Amino acid sequence: MRGRRLGILIGWLVALALLGAVVATHLKVGTDLRSFMPAPTTPDQKLLMDQVGEGPGSRLLLVAIDGGDDATKAALSRGLASALRKDDGFTQVVNGDFDLGMLDSSLLPYRFLLSPTLDHGALDETYLADELQQRLDDLGSPAATLLKGLLPRDPTLETLKLAERWTPARSPEVREGVWFSSKGEALLLAQTRGAGFDPGAQEAAIGRLRAAFAALPGSGGSHLTISGPGYFTVLVNAQTRDQADWIGRISTIGFIVLMLVAYRSIGALLLGALPVATGALVGIVALTLSFPEVHGITLAFGFTLLGVAQEYPIRLLSHRRAGESAVAAVRGLWPLLLTAIASACIAYLAFYASGVGGLKQLAVFTIAGLLAAGFSTRYMLPYVLPEHARDVSGMPWLASFRDWLDALPRPRWLPLPIVAAVLAMLFFAPGPFWQNDLSALTPLPRDLLMRDAQLRGELGAPDVRYLLVVQAPDADGVLRASAALEPRLREQVAAKHLDGFELASIYLPDLATQRARQAKLPDRATLDASLGAALDGMPFRKDLFAPFEDDVETARHAALLTPAMFARSPLGQRIASMLAHRDGHWVGLSTLSGVHDASAVAAAVASAGVDARLLDLKDASESLVAAYRTRILHAVLAATALLFLTITLALRSVRRAWHVLAPMTLATFLVLAVERMLGIPISLFHLVALILAAGLGLHYALFFERDTGDPAEQRRTLHATVVCVIAALLVFGMLAWSSIPVLRAIGLTVALGVGFHFCLSILMAPHARKD
Amino acid sequence: MTSGKKWVLLLTSLLLPLASLATPTPDADDANALIASLHRPAPARTPFAEARFMRVLDKPLVVSGELGWLGGDKLERRVEKPAKEVSTIADGEVTQEREGKKPRSFSLNRAPQLKVLLDSFVALLAGDPSRLSQSFDVTLGRDADRWALTLTPRDARVAKQIARIQVYGSGTVARCMRMDEADGDMSIDLLGELAGSMPAAPTREGLIAQCGGAM
Repeated sequence: MRGRRLGILIGWLVALALLGAVVATHLKVGTDLRSFMPAPTTPDQKLLMDQVGEGPGSRLLLVAIDGGDDATKAALSRGLASALRKDDGFTQVVNGDFDLGMLDSSLLPYRFLLSPTLDHGALDETYLADELQQRLDDLGSPAATLLKGLLPRDPTLETLKLAERWTPARSPEVREGVWFSSKGEALLLAQTRGAGFDPGAQEAAIGRLRAAFAALPGSGGSHLTISGPGYFTVLVNAQTRDQADWIGRISTIGFIVLMLVAYRSIGALLLGALPVATGALVGIVALTLSFPEVHGITLAFGFTLLGVAQEYPIRLLSHRRAGESAVAAVRGLWPLLLTAIASACIAYLAFYASGVGGLKQLAVFTIAGLLAAGFSTRYMLPYVLPEHARDVSGMPWLASFRDWLDALPRPRWLPLPIVAAVLAMLFFAPGPFWQNDLSALTPLPRDLLMRDAQLRGELGAPDVRYLLVVQAPDADGVLRASAALEPRLREQVAAKHLDGFELASIYLPDLATQRARQAKLPDRATLDASLGAALDGMPFRKDLFAPFEDDVETARHAALLTPAMFARSPLGQRIASMLAHRDGHWVGLSTLSGVHDASAVAAAVASAGVDARLLDLKDASESLVAAYRTRILHAVLAATALLFLTITLALRSVRRAWHVLAPMTLATFLVLAVERMLGIPISLFHLVALILAAGLGLHYALFFERDTGDPAEQRRTLHATVVCVIAALLVFGMLAWSSIPVLRAIGLTVALGVGFHFCLSILMAPHARKD
Repeated sequence: MTSGKKWVLLLTSLLLPLASLATPTPDADDANALIASLHRPAPARTPFAEARFMRVLDKPLVVSGELGWLGGDKLERRVEKPAKEVSTIADGEVTQEREGKKPRSFSLNRAPQLKVLLDSFVALLAGDPSRLSQSFDVTLGRDADRWALTLTPRDARVAKQIARIQVYGSGTVARCMRMDEADGDMSIDLLGELAGSMPAAPTREGLIAQCGGAM
């Protein structure tokens, strides 16, 4: 007998090792937080989802360099910028140090098509004479060294006009050639290639940024401050992992102590862990088989949710009578255990119905895990447990606890005052019922957010809330519409409704504009004649401007610039982030900075007569969250109905089903009411936690409802339930102390829920009343 | 330079390998004393006339006006002819203002020519030889009352654009400032009283002679 048990145990462990090997070789963990957001339905929501991760605003890292004198900080800023410009992980780096290389040499002739100069003039004698006279003045000025290299190729300084046009309207103070904050830090903006809400990509980019800084000579005495959405993502991720880790360690120790106290057997502790381990591994294997990539959060949440499965071995261990074999004990328990497993699976089906990628994964993981844990408790665990076990019903404290519980009054009308209290609390609760603001769940220290706002203000970095959306059938249409918006937005800046804006058309004019400018370029003979006349009496060397004449000739015959052709230049990257091809049409996304009067700007945009509007990302995100919640609520309702049906069928009695479902429902609403009374607005995470708590409560009610008429069996039920309750309180009570809103929401909700479910299911259990 | 001093110079250069390197040479002492004697209290203003000989031009470009040191690292260059223009160098920025135009400004880092001009000019007016020797190798030539300070930029990046600056003078007054750029372009500023005697068609040789000749 002993040999057979050992054989089964070894077989089981080998099977677990094999599953572990499959997981180790096939599991791919993803980190993009967007897979935990709902599928967008409206165009605004779709844009929001793109923006959340990949919008130019969310990919910006704001960097401040402090320590040392201005010259040192400026040198570090330049060094860091040139290192990051070579790094593939960054698409754009700006620090105020204007770089003429933005337009590479082969694109230089295009300056006549890009600059608005030719819109209201021509390269005729008058214009050239005026420009050349100015250049002569320049040569006599301190700027001479700066300009004399440009002179032969660009005597009209078109490149400088473009540079001016492309410099943000509001930029920080420039000292030593780079941006400085009012506090005297050198400032720099770096746009990452990776999505802003992908902690993995952001962590890598920030790591490279820090390494590049540390590698700069003289960086030892200076300090680097980083801010921006990507940095926060990394911070939150690390913080969450950190807290989850230490909370997990403490609750594991507590759980081990609990099991040892409850069963006084190391064997029971170790063997009792096997079903949950099986469930976890089977869950992950199911995930790797059905999804190409598993989200990190799915695993973290999944293990928490799977904690419910620990109840199955606990029930088996607690319900063993003296002298009864584990197999016989499990057979007696199985119908009820199966109902519990099925109902928990149904509750988690609600996640699958939510239609959100991450939650679907969560459902697959927990349902596969629960089934595996349940069936291994039924068909494997009993065969490896020791033949003799201690009957817990003989414990003296248990008997006196049971007696005390039995002595409690159990009025039939108990549900009525509870319902009244719940209604009153929900009615009088302070603050809004729902938490629609996703950012309220961000566990960022206040001073970091203040620092971000300060840096953002100084850098004139784009507002993350507003976005200008332009739509057209093709990319050129977007450019044309943007060009039409430009004067409107300038008026808004002048009226101080807005600090600044970016439009794709500022960098790349539409084809018609380019064609019109091209048509105005003189042919070589004409240009030669006007240049000759303009040069008359000026000291410029003969033939000095041949490169200029060559460029004009090249520009006359050049194919017009498109975003694709422009992509080679560093500026092309900027255009690429402002133009997107989506669902058969093109969308232009422009960032705005310092929006002071959103309605005025929206009205000005709407009146421009093009397909453009001001998008408020905060509105879009709130509508998205609300839609998300509605979906989850519907799924929960459907799951509840299914649950009532399952329980009624399993117990074959509406009355008995009522005794199970009434305490569970009441306790769920009681948790909701108490949290609302504490002034907590309900977020999605509270809903998820309520479902989890309801699953646990359902188990307690199912077992308490079981009418055995045997006081020893009732004591065993109490023992099992108390162990389960303490275990759940250990894990979730710890989470409730976390400083991270998401963890706290789950911890508090489940801990409260476990307490209420336990009390109500015991007080509303039917047979106790009969005693 | 007196012949007695020449002998001393020759002797010291012969004995140099034996002498402690830390001991300042009489030559450096002389330069330091001269620089200290050039000190003027801020704000100091002086008229100037500048001729620029550039490869892009067939004939030199002449401008005139007033140079002013406003104390600290602030310089002002007012041009009266041929067109009014005020350039200010302050806090690492150069700002140019012209009649009827928007002011234009750029970083001093983009114009190393100006940076060395600022360094040399301010150090001379402040009579501060140590500041001068931070940015330049300084050598002094003397002929009787006349002298010429030659400043060669130490920074390789600057030296790529500015080959050297020479300041000509007599007694405790600087008369001319000459800047040789690495590409062969050159500018000569006639300072103070001399500013009034810029010829209509200046030549390099003529101006150098006017300043006191090469040394």
